[in-house]
Amino acid sequence: MFKWSGLSQNKKFVGFDNFKDLFHDNVFWMALLHNAEIFAIGGSIILILGLGVAHAMQGNGRFTRALRSVYLFPNIMSLVVVAVLWQFLYNPRMGLFNAVADLFGKQKHRLDILGTPGTALPGVIITFVWFAAGFYIMLFSAGIRQIPEEVVEASKLDGAEGFVRFKKITLPLLWSVGRIALVYLVINTLNVFALVFLMTTGGPDRKTEVMLTYLYEQAFVNSDYGAATALAVANFVIVMAVSGLILKLTKNDPTGATR
Amino acid sequence: MIKRTLGSLAVLTAVSFALIGCGDGGSKTADGAGAPAGGGNGKDLDVVSFSGGYGLDFFEKAAKEYQEKHPGVNIAVTGGPRSWEQLRPKFANGTPPGLTWPGWSMDYWALIYDNQVLPLDDALKTPAYDGKGTWGDTFEPTLLKLGQYQGKQYELPYHYNVLGWWYDPGVFAKHGWTVPKTFNELLVLSAKIKAAGMAPITYQGKYPAYMVQGFLFPWAASVGGIKVLDDAQSLKPGAWKDPAFLKAAQMIKQLADAGYFEDGANGLDHTESQMEFLQGKAAMIPCGTWLFSEMSKTMPAGAKMAYMLPPVADGGKGDPSAVQIGIEPWIVPTKGANHELAIDFFKYMTSLDKAKQFVEEKGTLMAIKGSDQAKLPEHLKEPARLFRESKTVYAIEYDQWYAKFGDEVKNAMTSLLNGSKTPEQFVQTCEDEAEKVRKDKSKPIHEMTR
Repeated sequence: MFKWSGLSQNKKFVGFDNFKDLFHDNVFWMALLHNAEIFAIGGSIILILGLGVAHAMQGNGRFTRALRSVYLFPNIMSLVVVAVLWQFLYNPRMGLFNAVADLFGKQKHRLDILGTPGTALPGVIITFVWFAAGFYIMLFSAGIRQIPEEVVEASKLDGAEGFVRFKKITLPLLWSVGRIALVYLVINTLNVFALVFLMTTGGPDRKTEVMLTYLYEQAFVNSDYGAATALAVANFVIVMAVSGLILKLTKNDPTGATR
Repeated sequence: MIKRTLGSLAVLTAVSFALIGCGDGGSKTADGAGAPAGGGNGKDLDVVSFSGGYGLDFFEKAAKEYQEKHPGVNIAVTGGPRSWEQLRPKFANGTPPGLTWPGWSMDYWALIYDNQVLPLDDALKTPAYDGKGTWGDTFEPTLLKLGQYQGKQYELPYHYNVLGWWYDPGVFAKHGWTVPKTFNELLVLSAKIKAAGMAPITYQGKYPAYMVQGFLFPWAASVGGIKVLDDAQSLKPGAWKDPAFLKAAQMIKQLADAGYFEDGANGLDHTESQMEFLQGKAAMIPCGTWLFSEMSKTMPAGAKMAYMLPPVADGGKGDPSAVQIGIEPWIVPTKGANHELAIDFFKYMTSLDKAKQFVEEKGTLMAIKGSDQAKLPEHLKEPARLFRESKTVYAIEYDQWYAKFGDEVKNAMTSLLNGSKTPEQFVQTCEDEAEKVRKDKSKPIHEMTR
């Protein structure tokens, strides 16, 4: 509601001008689209990975035990460390990806994943998935463990094996966990900041700009706290609206367990 | 359960917003009065300084010396590498320090528009620290001018940077290369450098400000003359798509298309690209005179660096001796305590003896006349000479006056370099963004005068 630099107490009341400006700001819409892409692409991969790995981890073999001991590792690392680590991997001069590409013959151009418009956002999404997947694996894993043993046994007696059992028994019984996972994903992807800020600062040419990196720029670089606050409110409303919509759309639990 | 959690979150957030809206930041009145406006006991001075490559030790030592000369005075010097973040809440709260160098990311102009910076015109008319002439006379006038707004002096320069290109004289001598003076000479030399297995030019791709400073502005000035830059920075309609800017953008594109920029430079940050240069993987790099202090700790053995002016456009109208500079300003906050002490201490810090000491100890140039007579480090001799002898000195200020516009020009520069914008699209984007600033009545438009 104010025009404010954040550097004094001089504020000018401007009514809803900050929101009007935000609505007409192409950068905001571009940033929102990038958040949506991270949610749609990164979120889908995380859900598939989370479900798949959690399901695979229910056994007791050596591989399963090894997987159990490492899957959460990226998630407990500091996000700053994750960003720096992946920046090194992506580095066009000394990164691992370039070294691997060189094994297949000298490249005409260095792979510049974070510096190239078409690959910068996918590069950030891959890092986000690597970092965040562990939490969702844990969530689904706990959900699978809550499925009563007798239900699983009964399905086995009925001849449901492998993917059929996963589709007909595991997945429906994970409905409530899935709802929680989706809401968490909305919050995490629409509020993603540190990873993007540290890896690309929204570049190149705003190709990885997300709502909160733009908010930071408006407040701390452009000294436009009014615009930044309008963006914060918009971000809050969008997160709540999308979360609410997801809860509404997933209200009908096929097993009838969730109300 | 989830519904309840979301509901609670909504209420909590709404309450938080309401509280933020109600908060007065500790100020007693709308303009923040209640803080010590130039008051204080005349003896205690709080100095907050950016602490980058030059550290805080010089200022701490100066404070100690000043205290010994003025018994009873207490000067506390603090700071950090992100001093502007420490200072923002202090300014907003009406409790800024008495004297500060806030650092490169502080929005100085927002502070000035908000009357948070004390005009120093009267102080500059007082005698210099060593008593010869006025204090104002001791500063290089072209650098002093950069801190003025609407006829008043708000910022005072301390050390300054000369921006240009750098090369390794050892590498050039080994291959028998000579420093290119013109763009055509650069093209010929770049072909030879590339044939020798080295990238002719690298740059700090993640921070496109370097390429605006190092390629676009020097070449636009060289093609069309300094008025082209002045008009662009003054946001004159059409100035950003002047044929000189278009030609400069085309020169950048020509180098990119010829493969004369280091492969992958768009993904490198400043230290990575500068290390590529120092390791001999690239022959030239745009940067300011801070390059040595920034890289000295990690400089490979045997590496050298020497300054060169960016090669000028062949047949251009611009002054070939034009030099780009940037200042690192100090300010006296209006609401800081003990203005007189702050001014007197800064006067001591800018005395010729202290200025020469800073040059020698920190390896940078100072805005004080005669300070370049100190024992200059090798890498500063050429930029100091060029600054002294140049008929045209200019600074890039538009991105400080209009931060968001500056971001957009830098972003467009990234797109020009990675090929997603043509030179024509680049200048059109810059002009479109300039038009947005012209239409925005919330901030004043600056006029670049000479």
